[in-house]
Amino acid sequence: MAAWDLTVTVEDLGPDAPPLQISVTSDLHIGGVILKLVEQTNLKRDWSDHALWWEQKQQWLLRTGWTLDKCGVHADARLIFTPQHKPLRLGLPNGATLKMRACFSSPVFRTVMGICRVLNLRHPEELSLLRPVEEKKKKKDKDSSEELYDLTDVPLTAGSVQALYNGMPAHFADSPKTEAVYKMLSVSLPSPAPEAIAKLYRPASIVDKTHIHTRWLDSSRSLMQQGIQENDKLGLRFKYYTFHDMDPKYDAVRLTQLYEQARWAILLEDIDCTEEEMMLFGALQYHIGKQSLSQDMVSSCQGMDDLESALKSLEVKMVGDGNSTDMLDNMTAPELNDHLKIFRPKRLTLKGYKQYWCKFQETSISYYKSKEDRYGEPIQQLNLKGCEVAPDVNVAGQKFCIKLLIPAPEGMNEIYLRCENEKQYSQWMAACKLASKGLTLLDSSYQSEVQNIQTFLSMQRSSSAAPTSQTDESINTHSLVSPRYQKKYKPKQLTPRILEAYQNIAQLSLTSAILKFLQIWQALPDFGISYFMVRFKGSRKDEVLGIANNRLIRIDLGVGDVVKTWRYSNMRQWNVNWDIRQVAIEFDGNINIAFGCVNADCKVVHEYIGGYIFMSTRAQQQSDTLNEELFHKLTGGHEAL
Amino acid sequence: MDDIDAMFSDMLQEMDLLTQSLGEEAESAPLPKPPTIPGPQEMNFSVGFTDFNASLHDLEDNDLDALMADLVADISATEEKFATEKDTLKGSAPVAPIPSQPPSNLSFPGSSSTLRQATSSNSIAATPPPPTSKPSKEELEEQIKADKIKLALEKLKEAKVKKLVVKVEIMDGSSKTLMVDERQTVRDVIDNLFEKTHCDCNVDWSVCETNPDLQTERGFEDHENLVEPLSTWTRDTENKVIIKKKKDKYEVFRNPQNFYMWKKDKKSLKDMKEKDKEQLLEENFCGASVIVPDLEGILYLKEDGKKSWKQRYFLLRASGLYYSPKGKTKASRDLVCLVQFDNVNVYYCKEYRIKYKAPTDHCFILKHSQIQKESQYIRYLCCDDEWTMTLWVTGIRIAKYGKQLYDNYKAAVRKAAGSATWASRSIQASSSASTPSPTPKVRAANGHAPQPAVETKGSSNQTSFPPPPASMETLPPPPPDPMLPPPPPAPPSTNKVNQFPPPPQFPQSSFPPPPMDDLPPPPPPPPEDSELPPDFLPPPPPIFSSCGGEALPPPPPDPIASLPPPPALQNFASAGGAPPPPPPPPPPPAPAPAASKPAGSVRKVAPPPPKRTTPQLAAPSGGDLMSELMTAMQKKRTQ
Repeated sequence: MAAWDLTVTVEDLGPDAPPLQISVTSDLHIGGVILKLVEQTNLKRDWSDHALWWEQKQQWLLRTGWTLDKCGVHADARLIFTPQHKPLRLGLPNGATLKMRACFSSPVFRTVMGICRVLNLRHPEELSLLRPVEEKKKKKDKDSSEELYDLTDVPLTAGSVQALYNGMPAHFADSPKTEAVYKMLSVSLPSPAPEAIAKLYRPASIVDKTHIHTRWLDSSRSLMQQGIQENDKLGLRFKYYTFHDMDPKYDAVRLTQLYEQARWAILLEDIDCTEEEMMLFGALQYHIGKQSLSQDMVSSCQGMDDLESALKSLEVKMVGDGNSTDMLDNMTAPELNDHLKIFRPKRLTLKGYKQYWCKFQETSISYYKSKEDRYGEPIQQLNLKGCEVAPDVNVAGQKFCIKLLIPAPEGMNEIYLRCENEKQYSQWMAACKLASKGLTLLDSSYQSEVQNIQTFLSMQRSSSAAPTSQTDESINTHSLVSPRYQKKYKPKQLTPRILEAYQNIAQLSLTSAILKFLQIWQALPDFGISYFMVRFKGSRKDEVLGIANNRLIRIDLGVGDVVKTWRYSNMRQWNVNWDIRQVAIEFDGNINIAFGCVNADCKVVHEYIGGYIFMSTRAQQQSDTLNEELFHKLTGGHEAL
Repeated sequence: MDDIDAMFSDMLQEMDLLTQSLGEEAESAPLPKPPTIPGPQEMNFSVGFTDFNASLHDLEDNDLDALMADLVADISATEEKFATEKDTLKGSAPVAPIPSQPPSNLSFPGSSSTLRQATSSNSIAATPPPPTSKPSKEELEEQIKADKIKLALEKLKEAKVKKLVVKVEIMDGSSKTLMVDERQTVRDVIDNLFEKTHCDCNVDWSVCETNPDLQTERGFEDHENLVEPLSTWTRDTENKVIIKKKKDKYEVFRNPQNFYMWKKDKKSLKDMKEKDKEQLLEENFCGASVIVPDLEGILYLKEDGKKSWKQRYFLLRASGLYYSPKGKTKASRDLVCLVQFDNVNVYYCKEYRIKYKAPTDHCFILKHSQIQKESQYIRYLCCDDEWTMTLWVTGIRIAKYGKQLYDNYKAAVRKAAGSATWASRSIQASSSASTPSPTPKVRAANGHAPQPAVETKGSSNQTSFPPPPASMETLPPPPPDPMLPPPPPAPPSTNKVNQFPPPPQFPQSSFPPPPMDDLPPPPPPPPEDSELPPDFLPPPPPIFSSCGGEALPPPPPDPIASLPPPPALQNFASAGGAPPPPPPPPPPPAPAPAASKPAGSVRKVAPPPPKRTTPQLAAPSGGDLMSELMTAMQKKRTQ
């Protein structure tokens, strides 16, 4: 058989080196080509990761057993001999950028699996890669200032079982540098500066939201095939909003990154919420941030929980069988006694605050005319169980009031307690808060509650002074809410509102707070809907198709109203006409719909629907191994079949 | 060391005196130690008594019987415990005083100070086990002391367990009265009522509260505690507790599509496949967070303090009930929160068209459970039709309770399925479940139980039999220790028991004899077992004596009653014989009839108002005792 010359560029020889010419015959298999190539370079090194990339056809020649003939390679082919794993800059859900090696030759689905294995993220099928928003290149110097975590030296291990070392996967425990990376991954980052939030891209309308999803990479093709180059930046995100088998014990990174994604979705108004919900999200962020700061890296979530349960049982022991004096100490109920000013707003009275001697005992406040009268009958006794407690605080103005709404048969009694200073306020506030839940000063959470209130007060003091991001205790409440509320409220108006919401969640552990955040996020009406601009068959205008984990939603573009909902459970079949790029779906009862995608590739839409159907199959098969084949069957295009 | 020993033996004596004096009072039997009767404590007693008396005033006879069953169970449990403790103690350290004394002292104030709140001192705590190894005597005593204090603390806690006597109206016009303890859930109460009424255990049965002032009705959720909401009723309330079938209680789990796909037309939803329904439930109730039906639409809202109702576009979210203000979009950011659900409950309303000029009669309100009267803090809402109202009320319940509702439903379904097949055995099963680990003492009592049961039957025909009265005033108050204020708890409860006529009026059918045969006298229900076995067990008077030992005051007077088990036998024997012919109880019968007469004549439909309870009252005296103990301990340490 006639020999001919094949031109191959070997990247490792340097950018300026001329391509090598090797003499081959058409029946030489790819493995043979590589062998000849390596011999010719005279370079002694590990070539095992290298493979041939056929640039004109944009495809890898990975089947070493195939002959050149079978691959269709002729003398005019320009091949490149290049490593399959290259560094990639990954934008993580928490906003950090991580440099690490990823596979450029396998389908993106598998590449993501590899990345997730390194990052210790379970259930990689829920994540995928997307192209970043095109930044307006106004300032080029900005790139250099970007903080970069580097994991490129970490070898990609094949085994899926991760040995733990120091509470983290062994490959992170190698050096302080990689330990820092793991900390970044598994502990939520401090709140960003409000200006930073305001500067980031926010979708302003549902149309903008449809653009986000046009950027997803195709899971069935490789990175190289999709034009991704070495050192390019891609975003790693949770793509399918069904989070299977979430277990805080094993999912430190997954939970943290999911929380970060949710947090940013809320801060950047990707998902709409009400003001009340925003305040609660803000409070949870504050709490999570504070808990994360105080947390040692090694004792990550699981350590905390263990510790917590240990403390709990210790507590029980103390009550149950500590020595008798301890028990006796515990039995003498503590009280608060102090002078407070009380104000009961009534119609048509102009009376202001009046000072009384107040005693807080069990869940009640009794007040007396003076300290000397304290052994007599109180003027009134207020049982706070079930009441609403709201702060009315202005640190700058030295106003520390507690507003109580105490339910009574006739309605609610409104009473204000005015405290002298922060210390007094935090003690009484904490007591009121516990009492409203039926707990007494005896409760173990009292001290931490007092402390929480104090740190929160200090926030108000420093909020105007420290515009930078959260460093220690000081934090700007503006960094906890989306720009809309930054504009709507000044920090000193915002802080009390967040404080109010904060009181209900202050007792949560770090993990429970994160879970709570995710729970509320998932309960939002618009949660988990990915939007695409489509044009339905027979319609003359663009509409929005929302894809959620259980249904498709047709949304009117102008008004934003839901026009129609179809559930996957009623879906008979769906298919794609790749020639006219149209998705056709048939539902029970002879309902047929068909649409083409306006701004996204219809492969993305097709993959989304197939992906969700794949996700729903996971519940049945409990095995850990991922059914990759099924995924591609459900999401692949005509090429895959 | 000596100090504390002395103190404990003091307490022991006091205890002995008290129990004996009680026994004597009821039986007029010779007692080993003649009681000395101090004044102040007597006062205490009568306070407790009259209060209780008054509150029970309007109960009917059979209610009293039912109640008595409960109380007897409590008492006998307490007695058993005393006896066991005493035995263990006597066996191991004769010098030591009765461990249960301090607690009994402590728990008394709680019961005497509240109206209808009976305080049970039947602690679930295990009795201090006799030390198995043979440590030095000192260690032993140390140990015993620690145990005693522990017991004291447990009893203290137990003493705070609030109980209410609740009259539940049934739709056919009849009613059942039962005692509900604050740890019991509504589900327990429903199960209890099932057993009493032998109805089908349909999942739709719902315990509701009605408020005639506000014309509202709310079905309690199965996981709620019943005592808590009832405690917030006012004293003169006309509120009622009723049990009835409410179809909407769990409709969302039978036909989730009607709630979660409410926008679709109902015809197409009608024949949804079971599989699809299950999937809907799975999606909405089994995920990380419960999905609330995406309800939205126009409702009428009564304006604050005005008579007018205004239409608003409302939206339900997991975080609360919102409306979109005029001229704004439905976007989340523009919504105004009307109310969040943490502190409020949702109530169906009746005839608001007349009462508040509502556009329709399909109204519901949201309010704190404590609010009992018209108030600006109540949110009044009105829907176009009944189905819309059901939709919103159910949606709000889902938002408020989340997955708990689904769990309740599943438990109810299990119960209903179980009751169908096991109806006949349910009584036995449930009551025996409540006696998981009978102490030897209890077992001894078991042996005698069958006979008492028979006795009861014999006497049950004599409905007219006057109650064996142990009147408060005549009760010899406990021994005088000025330092230890209140008398032990046993007396108060026994008093109450003596108040009532013995069980006879109970219909025979309600307690089949077979179960009785192998069932011990109801021991204190363990905390996790929330059923109230005593409710349907006949309270045979002899039971007190057979299991109680010395502390038992009840009718049959037997000198040997003060001794633990063997005398018990005699006791009950005499008790069995005694009832029919002449009432053996010596104390003047006058007070008792007085108590029962009004009960018969005053037939109030409304359940007597549960009073706001103040269990904390137990604390001060507890503090006294505890601080004494503490000083004693400290002294001991310094030695």
